[in-house]
Amino acid sequence: MNNKLLKPLGLGLLTALSVASQSAVAEGDAVSIINDKCVACHAKESDTSWSRISHMRKTPEGWLGTIGRMQVMHGLEISSEERATVMKYLADTQGLAPSETEGYRYALEQRMNTHEEFESGLFTEMCARCHSGARVKLQHRPESEWMHLANFHIGQYPTIEYHALARDRDWWPIVKEQMVPMLGKQQPLESTAWSEWLKAGDEAVVGSWSVAGHMPAKGDLHAVMTVTEKEGDDMYAVALEGAFADGTPLTGEGSAIVYTGYEWRASIKVGDETMRQVFAVQDGTMTGRMYSADDDSRGMDITAAVESGKARVLAVQPAYIKAGTETELTIVGANLSGEPSLGKGVAVVKVLKSSDNLIKVLAKAGKAEGVNTVAVGTTSGAELAVYSSVAAVKVVPEFAVARVGGNGGSTAPVEARFDAEAWAAGKDGKAGTDDDFRIGFMPASWTAKAFDEQAAADEDLKYAGTLSDNGVFSPAGAGPNPDRKMSTNNAGHLTVVGTVTDGDSSVEAEAELIVTVQRWNTPPIP
Amino acid sequence: MKHLKAINNKAQLLSKAAEEDKVEDVVAMNSVMGCAATFDPGWEIDAFGGVASLCQPMEADLYGCSDPCWWPAQVPDMMNTYPDWDDKTASTKDDWRNLGTVFPDDKK
Repeated sequence: MNNKLLKPLGLGLLTALSVASQSAVAEGDAVSIINDKCVACHAKESDTSWSRISHMRKTPEGWLGTIGRMQVMHGLEISSEERATVMKYLADTQGLAPSETEGYRYALEQRMNTHEEFESGLFTEMCARCHSGARVKLQHRPESEWMHLANFHIGQYPTIEYHALARDRDWWPIVKEQMVPMLGKQQPLESTAWSEWLKAGDEAVVGSWSVAGHMPAKGDLHAVMTVTEKEGDDMYAVALEGAFADGTPLTGEGSAIVYTGYEWRASIKVGDETMRQVFAVQDGTMTGRMYSADDDSRGMDITAAVESGKARVLAVQPAYIKAGTETELTIVGANLSGEPSLGKGVAVVKVLKSSDNLIKVLAKAGKAEGVNTVAVGTTSGAELAVYSSVAAVKVVPEFAVARVGGNGGSTAPVEARFDAEAWAAGKDGKAGTDDDFRIGFMPASWTAKAFDEQAAADEDLKYAGTLSDNGVFSPAGAGPNPDRKMSTNNAGHLTVVGTVTDGDSSVEAEAELIVTVQRWNTPPIP
Repeated sequence: MKHLKAINNKAQLLSKAAEEDKVEDVVAMNSVMGCAATFDPGWEIDAFGGVASLCQPMEADLYGCSDPCWWPAQVPDMMNTYPDWDDKTASTKDDWRNLGTVFPDDKK
């Protein structure tokens, strides 16, 4: 077992999947581990079926969370290799189909500033007050198993009575008579999506992948990721070679494993940092997020296409050009052939560099504004915004949560990263109307200020942390701060202001930033 | 609130926030993934949508949160799940650095 990659994660932040500890996985091994470790409590129903275990389906992270809970709550003793083997087996045989994870992948990708909204107020109130709603949405069970889950909550966490507003209403009948039937109906054990998925073959991943992405407060990136087979079931070696638009290299090596035929999880050492990849593989593409194992807020959005597959245009970087100007643009894709085209009114003055996955051009935009489709030969994909002026800016995210950390404690600080998203006014010349179009993330200058009078009186700006020139807020240390009133923590409530300069004018926008205390519960799904 | 009268500063702020409908801000925070905010107060944010009225420094009363399993998704509950979480930390104020995260890591 190669644990080298895992060592820096001794802070207990290893909530994602342990790719590096995965060794040879065989169904027989998993079954014998389950028979050895789990049957003390879980009755064996057949050669490959056990009470509770075999009556639900989950993501790899969901299964990891379950096994972790068995370790903590029921004294299960299991080695890292055995845990990985069982997790792989259960994710493969009782996983979720791609369509069943759609809309909730943000939780697997650790996008912690995601604002969750659910159709059912009851669901939000009952399930998403303590943990993410996605944790629930990413499970499928029959009604009887949903009932067990509700019973487990009341046994394990008696304060659920308060949290479910038991002081004001008879909450338990709502759980039994409304929530459990609703979940059993909406997220049943058996589904057509899953049975169809089991019939379909696993997605192929070996080969060379062209990668495009964006990291908030850092910029666009492109890379080539080479995937080769490794000993073990669905195990791969990965080499990543690329760079950000500002020239910072993004190069590293690591391991990957594919669960459920499409759930790509990799651990890659980039410089001194271990980065995790949580991608969904589908039809020769990968999409998802790559983030730091130490601080999951430090991550990038990724799309990739296999070079042996269909021709694809993944991105144009930057994704905008000012009307009447000339600039260099990079088209990232796979199997590109033919002439690059940037849409009506934007001329390719010169092709500066051209390969199967990367075309660099000098482009010149005319006076017409709008959103153009970028194509190479007959393959189109990315959009290029042609703008004459920046009419409005949005700071993304508009609401962020950072957490104090470090200072000798067990939890690393969680930073907040901001981007300035520029918008053009469209044909009517007025910002904030329906014909506005998105220009893209633009370089901006950044400042922070107290959110309100209370935050100013408490000097939150002085204590909560620092905002860098490029929009990265680094929170201050954890622990009581004797310099603050009542030795309070370095929490704070700030406004982050991003200003985009466009010629002689500048446009600014604000975001709200909560700098709050750490959390010690770091399950695989928040 | 008809029969209750706010007598200290915090209670008066709460009454004022309720009157001004500021409680909505807290509901919004509740839906940020992984945060618990609608309890009184939330773990990440107070009833006014800020952090000034959180129980801070939280180390001062941390076991008052973990013992009764108050924010079990953020703070390890010592009632049932992690009874030994405080083993190395007699004083949260002085020894908070000894408190670890709780998901079982891969063994080294």
